[in-house]
Amino acid sequence: MEKSDSRRPTGLLLVAIPVLLMAWLIIWPIINAIGRTMWRPDAEGSYGFDLSSYIFFFSDQYSIDNLAITLWTTLMCAILLLAICLPIALYLRFSQGRLPAYVQALAIFPMFVPSIILAYAFIRVLGPNGMVDILLNAVGLPKIRTPYLTPWGPVIGLVWDNIPLTVLILLSGLGSVANHAIEAARDVGANRLQVFWHIILPRISNSILVAISFSVLGIFSSFTLPYLLGPASPEMMGPFMNRTFREVNDPINAVTQAVVTFGFCIAFGLFYVRSVARNQGK
Amino acid sequence: MKRRDFMISAAGTVAGMALLPRMSFAAEGVIDWYTSSDSNILDFWTNTVKPAFEAANPGVSINLVDAGDGAGINAIAERAIAAKQSGADPQADYFETHDPNQPNGAIDAGIYVNMKEAGLSNYDKVNPLAFDGDYSLPYRGSQVLLAYDSTKLKAADAPKNWDDLVTWIKANPGQFVYNRPDKGGSGGNFVRRAIHQANGLDPAAFTLDNYSEAYANETLGKTWEILKDIAPSLYDNGAYSSGNTQSIQLLSQGVVTMTPVWSDQVLQAISQGVLPEDTGLVQLQDLALAGGFSRAVVLDNGVNRDAALKLADFVLTEEIQSAILTELGGFPGVSWDYVSPELRERFADIVPTSIPTFPGGDWGAAINDGWYRNVAPNVDRNS
Repeated sequence: MEKSDSRRPTGLLLVAIPVLLMAWLIIWPIINAIGRTMWRPDAEGSYGFDLSSYIFFFSDQYSIDNLAITLWTTLMCAILLLAICLPIALYLRFSQGRLPAYVQALAIFPMFVPSIILAYAFIRVLGPNGMVDILLNAVGLPKIRTPYLTPWGPVIGLVWDNIPLTVLILLSGLGSVANHAIEAARDVGANRLQVFWHIILPRISNSILVAISFSVLGIFSSFTLPYLLGPASPEMMGPFMNRTFREVNDPINAVTQAVVTFGFCIAFGLFYVRSVARNQGK
Repeated sequence: MKRRDFMISAAGTVAGMALLPRMSFAAEGVIDWYTSSDSNILDFWTNTVKPAFEAANPGVSINLVDAGDGAGINAIAERAIAAKQSGADPQADYFETHDPNQPNGAIDAGIYVNMKEAGLSNYDKVNPLAFDGDYSLPYRGSQVLLAYDSTKLKAADAPKNWDDLVTWIKANPGQFVYNRPDKGGSGGNFVRRAIHQANGLDPAAFTLDNYSEAYANETLGKTWEILKDIAPSLYDNGAYSSGNTQSIQLLSQGVVTMTPVWSDQVLQAISQGVLPEDTGLVQLQDLALAGGFSRAVVLDNGVNRDAALKLADFVLTEEIQSAILTELGGFPGVSWDYVSPELRERFADIVPTSIPTFPGGDWGAAINDGWYRNVAPNVDRNS
């Protein structure tokens, strides 16, 4: 017991640097941003409580459209990610041999491709007169309407970009599903769907929550893919903030958009924290 | 990792961090040069101007840095203002192109060299049409043209004025694209040409000082009507590419038939084989698409102020000005009398007598934001 007591300060010291960095680089700027948007000088230059930039944001149709497209993109990506990654993870968990190893390597591959390269590859393949169009044309099929510069462009790019992380988290969750639990269920006559629904899903619901909140946090504030692949308007919050700050020279509204953005991100983050806390309590 | 290794590498890191701030001080004889232009300009400086200047001035070198965009240069200029107030070193000497009126009050703060009084030997050669105040030095020009696929559109049928262009766009839906006005000058100046069209074809109607919200609402409001009118006939029912390069890419993939382009970028794209040799180029004859001169700015409080002025003088020499024509496909910043007669003859057709320009300042923000709110349509998500 003595030994573990003496280790305690070492552990705290180890986390001190990341915690301090987070407080300095993330938490303080958040407080600062909220302060700067709510405590502002009026026409005479005296400082006071002022919510006008938030009132503008939530009464301005253009800003609301941008927020709506961001939420829509995030939701679509979350649904698609789950629909794509859960089968992959299940396959990798319950099959043996060399083929699953190749599948896993392929599923992890997008992690090593920078999103800017992904964006240009996307334009070349799925873009107008791209490879898909050429192949369709070669077999006499009509052209597709390309997702490039439509809201589906960023969705496809972001889903591809987030597959590795989601698969890895789901896979680690599936590791806690014991083989004998499934065999026992099979013995009493459960079919595949019943095994999935009653045995596997309850055990990995936490991992699903973690995987989704991780990718949702990244997608909500993403920049490169919506900037290069998305439509001019409405635009996602990342490009919208950047444009308001740099091109329209309007820092107050840009900071307001940022506060609204991390307000949503905190809400998603709470899901993650709650599921971790629930896990610890078990 | 063993504890000893850890201690050694940690000590090394700490020692390195202690040295860092000292290393970032501007070095004597190394001109810190920043650009906000596209990569073709950076390539031109890397391959042509830098070697020539360094050969002519032993002991002086140029550190070429891409600042990204105008806002990137502005941030460095703000740093220079702060450095001026505290007497520190701004670590910047030369802006490849910049509007000295930005950021507000920069000229009064005294961070830019007055080029007229700096005693440059080549100053008198500069094209008088190009000047925009005493604090910047025009050294190259470029203009926005319309580039088209000559296999789909014959040169004789190419639109020669705005009304013909609008008629053509509507008659060929999906065959025209321009980029978002804040993402590159080719689309930006197409929008500015529409502003000229909506307001009596008079570039003089817009100056840096005559911006007011009421005047902008009136003049730009008419412009948005023109642009909204053609929007449904553009590529993909009103999609806008995200930059100059992306427009050229759509043209080269045969997706669209016509797009506005920067003259220098399109000439380079043709010479590199990105666009075919027979790509058509046309300029509107009623009023040319807006373009402009790139104006170099030298920082007054930079450590290498004198070397930077030498560089500013150097880019006006016949050697570099000819290279701007031949290598870059731009227009010279000096008057035509100072370009070699042979080149003068060769490029006589494409060089205009004047380039209509549009002021920056508050106009830029009003155009960028107004366009997004009024012209860019809300794309139908379900289509």
